[in-house]
Amino acid sequence: MKKLFSLLMVLVLSLSLVACGAKEDNNTNNTTDEANDTMLVGMVCIGNENAAYDRNFYMAADAAKEILAAKGINVEWKYTYDHPEGDPVANDCVELAEAGAKVVILNSYGMENAMMTVAEDYPDTVFCSLTNEGSSRDELANTVNAFPSIFEGRYLAGVVAGQKLQAMIDAGELDADKAVMGYVGAYTFAEVISGYTSFYLGAKSVCPSVTMMVEFIGSWGDPEKEAAAAQDLIDRGAVLISQHSDSTTPATTAQANGKLHVGYNISMIDVAEDASLISSRIDWTNYFVYVIETVANGGTVDQDYMGYGLANGDVVLTELNEKIAAEGTVEAVEAAKAGIIDGSIKVFDTTTFTVGGVELTSSLVDMTGDFVGDEGYDAVSNGQYNESSFKSAPAFAERIDGITLVNEAY
Amino acid sequence: MEEKTPLIRVVKNENLSKTKIWCIRLSAFVVAILLGCLIFVICGANPIAAYGEIIKGAIGKSTGIKQTIKIATPLLGAALALGLCFKMKYWNCGAEGQITMGALGAAFFAINFGTKLPSIPLLLLMCVGGVVCGAVWGLIPALFKSRWNTNETLFTLMLNYIAIGIVAWLQGGPWEGKPGSQIVPNFPKAAVLPKVMGIQCGWILIILLVFVMFFYMNFTKQGYEIAVLGESENTARYAGMNVGKVIIRTAAISGGICGLVGFMVASGVNQTIYSGIAGGVGFTAITVAWLAQLNPFAMTVIAFLLAVLSKGSSALQTAMGVPSSVSEIIKGILLLCLLGCEFFINYKMILRSKKEAK
Repeated sequence: MKKLFSLLMVLVLSLSLVACGAKEDNNTNNTTDEANDTMLVGMVCIGNENAAYDRNFYMAADAAKEILAAKGINVEWKYTYDHPEGDPVANDCVELAEAGAKVVILNSYGMENAMMTVAEDYPDTVFCSLTNEGSSRDELANTVNAFPSIFEGRYLAGVVAGQKLQAMIDAGELDADKAVMGYVGAYTFAEVISGYTSFYLGAKSVCPSVTMMVEFIGSWGDPEKEAAAAQDLIDRGAVLISQHSDSTTPATTAQANGKLHVGYNISMIDVAEDASLISSRIDWTNYFVYVIETVANGGTVDQDYMGYGLANGDVVLTELNEKIAAEGTVEAVEAAKAGIIDGSIKVFDTTTFTVGGVELTSSLVDMTGDFVGDEGYDAVSNGQYNESSFKSAPAFAERIDGITLVNEAY
Repeated sequence: MEEKTPLIRVVKNENLSKTKIWCIRLSAFVVAILLGCLIFVICGANPIAAYGEIIKGAIGKSTGIKQTIKIATPLLGAALALGLCFKMKYWNCGAEGQITMGALGAAFFAINFGTKLPSIPLLLLMCVGGVVCGAVWGLIPALFKSRWNTNETLFTLMLNYIAIGIVAWLQGGPWEGKPGSQIVPNFPKAAVLPKVMGIQCGWILIILLVFVMFFYMNFTKQGYEIAVLGESENTARYAGMNVGKVIIRTAAISGGICGLVGFMVASGVNQTIYSGIAGGVGFTAITVAWLAQLNPFAMTVIAFLLAVLSKGSSALQTAMGVPSSVSEIIKGILLLCLLGCEFFINYKMILRSKKEAK
């Protein structure tokens, strides 16, 4: 008994030493932080460094840090991982705001609800709900939205895919009616529909006979489900796979089957060098620089970040896989890019597609948050669907002819 | 030939003094902390600073304490509910599903009447809806148990997945907000539980419930029935108790409390519903109930301790970049040590002494 007690006493004493030591340690930490005058910026991530989607954000964060440092603003990024939605996201927001973050970036659509339950308590912190749309509408000044015009990049990626398919048709390697693309989609959600439609229209602009199948997986990112959907699409006859999902497994599945692939978020050539042609991505660097610089200088961040795309470098293509790309792809992409920027090419040109066999003449956009299109906000005018013209979040949700949905469960 | 005494013998420990029992528990805690230090060192973090961050993050500031209480509240609520069943030796592993169903019941009223009713009647309706849904979800396996003596462990576990599945369907179906988003919009303000001292007011209810449960388990006829049934079903039957009725009643009460917790997390914390809303609380609560030896007051302490770890570890992640998975390991070690030390309370190990060997 005595022995036990003495042992305990020693342990308790050493623990109390530990506790005292901790206090001193923290104090020194705090003072150095203040001395350096670094600005803390938080990011709540849906996944982690293994997901292509999140890696795209880290790349932008690092780039923004460098640019801001040149402007005399020292940024320290703090990340939280693997929280897609719900209270864990709210806790992350609180945690980061408490740690002193003046800007908190939420990198996925599903996080906004949770963020909105706590943003009110931290009026000095700007919460950027990327790819969502409720923050710009609410009464809080410190919650904002952003969504660069990725549909422009998707269209260009489609041009790359179409070029390759048309070259195969011209060379007699592929029948014109077998030019079928498969698309792994997350949900039957406007952002996804807008994405795959612009991708399809880009391909169709250079390969008129192309058709597409879309299979939804009911998740923004799930490597196994993405691979399974890609495999299913290939089994159904797809010769090229593209994706709106967070991981690289559609690329590796295409590679394993000897098919082609067009990626999203990051270049996937390193994991599928014989399959992956190119990827489109949003480059968040400009936006991060804008928000952090604005906040650092005491300004007000715009409620929505609208109209930024190819022209501003907010939407880019990753490097082209020259080894497998069709001849003339670089020129075709350059021409299409120039056309989109100067307005001569319209991504959603209503003369290039039909919905249920007829031309699209009207499509109302929801601006009030009741999920029903509102009068006075008709996106169709001047012969095109003007995507992201009333709000940055994609709104195109029409089911156009030439694209079949394998499942609609999600 | 004479049989050799084994090197270590395990002998049932009787009449251990209270001080000694608590010494064992305290040393288990200390061992867990020291093992945790080892993990931190392996991960390249300074263990002293790491523990400091955990404590500072959880109870160092008023906002930290609020968050900690927010985490502890549903944990304690679910543990109280489970304690009732465990006392009866009815292995309810369905708290997760019962919480989810409670959230569903509450969400039904929030979504359909959120803009039509004033706040107080709406919240009452949501509360009743949550309790009823949770109770029904708890009742189903108990009915089967009392009728056909089905295995309640498996049954309650399976019902968890069904509850989560139902919410997942609602979230992508009738209750979906933006088409295709699979997200239920936030509830109207009227359907949100008000805050007391900056924390959703559910915590007051749960603290009251601690006392109610203590009284119910120790000083009521129903509580006595539960205890007798837990000791021996035959005794209970011999004493004239309707065993089936007691099981069904207790499981329903337990489910109802879980439903209440579900209402709190939906209305007070998330302000919406999604399939993962219970967040594993229903499972962690099993450990809380057992660590506390089914004593409601001890549950309060344990739930708070776990909440400190949980809140502290997320603070640790932001402050020191320690992955949250590491904190999960630390938490796991602590739970293992605390549960494992019960072995040393119930049994003692005797080393073969030299005298005996000769």
